[in-house]
Amino acid sequence: MADNNLLAGLSGQDEVSLLDILDHVLNAGVVIHGSLVISLAGVDLVYVGLNVVLTSVETALRHMRLEQLPDRAGRP
Amino acid sequence: MATGVKSRDRNRVLYLYGITREGEGAVPGITGVDAAASVEALPCAGLVCWTSRVDKIEFAENLARNMENLEWLAEVSVRHQQAVAAIANSRDILPARFGTVFRTPASLTADVQKNKALLVHDLKRISGCEEWGVKVFGPQAQPQVAAGAKSGRDYLQAKAAALLAEAPRTADAEVQRFVRALEGVAVEAAAGAGAVSRGQRGLHWQGSLLVKRSQRGKLQQLMARFSRDWEGKRRIELSGPWPPYSFVSRTQKEEAGRA
Repeated sequence: MADNNLLAGLSGQDEVSLLDILDHVLNAGVVIHGSLVISLAGVDLVYVGLNVVLTSVETALRHMRLEQLPDRAGRP
Repeated sequence: MATGVKSRDRNRVLYLYGITREGEGAVPGITGVDAAASVEALPCAGLVCWTSRVDKIEFAENLARNMENLEWLAEVSVRHQQAVAAIANSRDILPARFGTVFRTPASLTADVQKNKALLVHDLKRISGCEEWGVKVFGPQAQPQVAAGAKSGRDYLQAKAAALLAEAPRTADAEVQRFVRALEGVAVEAAAGAGAVSRGQRGLHWQGSLLVKRSQRGKLQQLMARFSRDWEGKRRIELSGPWPPYSFVSRTQKEEAGRA
């Protein structure tokens, strides 16, 4: 894995942040539907909470504004 | 399959990590999203699905609720990524969407069979490639702190208004030059990916690149060149290599739901 860190090292990042993992893992990837009903639509709603915790106060504020828009949370 | 379902198995479902052309056995040194079960290859309609057994209540019935629990989500998404990356280490993989769960191997096989043409097409597209995440950070205007706010709520609202007034974050000509250079190295580029971190402060541009493993050197040179040119002005963050999460097809239904 030494090679893999070569590029990342350029930007001064020694490890991948949780933020980056969530960026790539959530809401990406091939969707094939299981026989159980999986709430894919629910994934988008998670971002509101995630941003509050994981990013800056400013981000939280942006979402405060978004939440004020009518009917956003109910129907992504 | 043994005849008769054990009661323990009735409470277990199959968590899907991804699909490859070939492979067998278990992924060495890796446990699944539940930190217990092994991740194993399951032949499926001529392809191979990588799955682990997980608790039905935790990963199916309560999945949506658990995803709102950030501690749970952080832990499970990291394990998901570790498993997919371990599989991707030695072969091309189509990573599955986080939280894709099947009741039985038969239901998984049926679904893979149904989508096989698309899956095979995508496997061909991403063959020999890896994904890189790129972010460009630039100088950020300091929002005016709301002086004289009477309450925390006043303060937040004033600050929100100040942020709203910031210049729109459109990529300037320099960033566009960088993006064009990236597109020259990449097989495909997806701008604007990254729903979680898109609100990061000072983030001017964000995208994912699908790059041939053989082109890593070129990507590296490009990053070095722009990092030098932009010293003191902009900062580039690169993450990867990732399995090609951002470059696999979604079903039509899913695309419609996102529109």
